[in-house]
Amino acid sequence: MSSGKSGRRRRSSSIIYQEPPESVEQISDQAANPNLNSQWVNAKGAWTIHPVIILGLKILFDVMPGMTQEISWTLTNITYMTGSYLMFHWVRGVPFEFNAGAYDHLNMWEQIDNGDQYTPAKKFLLTVPIVLFLLSTHYTHYDLTYFIINFLALMAVVIPKLPFAHRMRFAPFSGAPPDD
Amino acid sequence: MASSSNFTAAADLLSTHTLNLLHTVSEQFHKIPGSAILLRYIRSSYQNDPIRSVVELLLVIFAIRYLLAREYSTKPGKVKLSEEEIDDLVDEWTPEPLVAQTTAFEDADLEKRAIIVGPTGPKSRLANGKVVTNLASYNFYNLVSNEQLKERAIQTLRTYGVGPCGPPGFYGTQDVHMKIEADIAAFLGTTACIIYAQAFSTASSVIPAFSKRGDIIVADKAVNYSIRKGLQISRSTVRWFDHRDYADLERVLAKLDKEQRDKGILTRRFIVTEGLFENTGDVVDLPKVIELKLKYKFRLILDETWSFGVLGRTGRGVTEHQHVDAAEVDMILGSMAGPLSAAGGFCAGSDEVVEHQRLSAAAYTFSAALPAMSAVTASETLTMLQTQPDIIASLRENIKIMWQQLDPRSDWMVCTSAPENPIMILVFKQEVVSSRRLTVADQLGLLQEIVDECLTQGVLITRIKTLSAAPSGSKTDIYAHRPAVKVCMTNGLSRKEVEKAGTTIRHAITKIMTRKR
Repeated sequence: MSSGKSGRRRRSSSIIYQEPPESVEQISDQAANPNLNSQWVNAKGAWTIHPVIILGLKILFDVMPGMTQEISWTLTNITYMTGSYLMFHWVRGVPFEFNAGAYDHLNMWEQIDNGDQYTPAKKFLLTVPIVLFLLSTHYTHYDLTYFIINFLALMAVVIPKLPFAHRMRFAPFSGAPPDD
Repeated sequence: MASSSNFTAAADLLSTHTLNLLHTVSEQFHKIPGSAILLRYIRSSYQNDPIRSVVELLLVIFAIRYLLAREYSTKPGKVKLSEEEIDDLVDEWTPEPLVAQTTAFEDADLEKRAIIVGPTGPKSRLANGKVVTNLASYNFYNLVSNEQLKERAIQTLRTYGVGPCGPPGFYGTQDVHMKIEADIAAFLGTTACIIYAQAFSTASSVIPAFSKRGDIIVADKAVNYSIRKGLQISRSTVRWFDHRDYADLERVLAKLDKEQRDKGILTRRFIVTEGLFENTGDVVDLPKVIELKLKYKFRLILDETWSFGVLGRTGRGVTEHQHVDAAEVDMILGSMAGPLSAAGGFCAGSDEVVEHQRLSAAAYTFSAALPAMSAVTASETLTMLQTQPDIIASLRENIKIMWQQLDPRSDWMVCTSAPENPIMILVFKQEVVSSRRLTVADQLGLLQEIVDECLTQGVLITRIKTLSAAPSGSKTDIYAHRPAVKVCMTNGLSRKEVEKAGTTIRHAITKIMTRKR
């Protein structure tokens, strides 16, 4: 692997490090097949499903007995944000065996649109949690605790989506880097 | 005081103007459709909490900025070129030759290369009409001139045709393939076996079938080219240990084991080594490797391409030679092309190991199956090895005679092969290399001259021609092959003929090494 140009190199001791650029083998394995793991975010219906899921969650929490609007919106928020965080930022690699593990080091957000930033899909996926948060603060009378919980949940999915966090790893969240 | 009252009056005037202006703006605003909704929204959102509203406003501004940003690629080295620049680059481009210019050494090599006309055998006829003693073919048991085998092969050809014209999983498997698989498994004492259509692609296909990116392979530094390709294709993390240095192997295994324990990661782990090494001719210490693999919980892939059919009392390979149960080795790879005089390769192991390969090994799933006549020939030769142990004994006898002619009696060269190995690999003695300050190129030149001299004297031997041992992507060789010639023994020669050939080779070496320069 020849690099050094693109910012921080990974070192076992550092808390923050950046995934180094791919080797020739990795690049050719990545190009061997289309990335079915991330391609679907641009597919038909992949955008509609987000509002549908959110609405479903809201209804589910609303029908529970003794539910207040604050708790119901907070639960909806947290459920959606957790799911989104796990899917886009926590799990790495591809669940199928079609490119010899060439994406094992990247999470799904970094795989989407081949790593390009500000693509339509990424813009949509970043806007959805923000809109959800604004809606929830609008329809409820959060006290400070609720507001902070919801806001932190939002930040957890917004910050890793920002271009600066591309291929960036924080040791507390992703473990010590493999050294090779 | 006058100035102060003036100032107050001016301020009053200004505030009246401002109020008027604000009033007008608000009236205009109320005329915009939907403004009432917006106002109601802001009022109800505000909820008497300015900090919260500021946070929300910032979020909205951030989202709008994100939505308006321009798309860009994060891949390095993407440059947008104009049409003219593209044309310029295309015009400037001169293709590199597909085949590099041959060097003077390669030219000489090509010019002097011996060409055999007609069938190979212990005595072969060259294109220039000369009959030479052929010690350059892997014709150990002289099965190429066995009439019974030829007859069987022809019979099979008439019954089955030439090739099965399909991969084994797609109508390519014939009864003879299943028979040879069963034969090899029974011969070696494993539970199952799978055959490949080509010996070379066996190792480079079996290794990637099991070991993937992130998995760990520990390999001997001197392993052959096929294994190297397998290691490369598998994308695994490869650690090397010094050739036949089992203390070094233990060091590498212990280090890996500790690393993985510390990090709490669990991957597939393999040790890869050869039985008889293709490029050095020496033999693995299998009991030691087995002991280490059990101790550190690795799996063992053993390439017996050159030892299967050669080592052991009945030719079962390293396992028989060193009294190890073949079931202790996870995967035994072998060839039916060399000693068995057929074609193809095999991998023997447990049922799971073999069944996994039927869908996951590239050479098995995508290559046409082995021709039936090769499968039948291999079955026949296996039977011959078991029923006629004297053919192995007579080969060993010939090796011994040749060994006596060369190794202890030559002042210049030494044989690195194991005493049972019919491929005798001769390299310059270390003291010769150091006292004469021979570079690798010097050694290759001298070896070529020795080969040429032997050919003039009627003995065909060959120089070992290796490809670089560097793994792909590495800048330095992890292992430097020593320049060598190889003498391939066969039992098709009488004691006298072997002695004569040995003397010829020895004298050729002496002649080249002692001549005046």
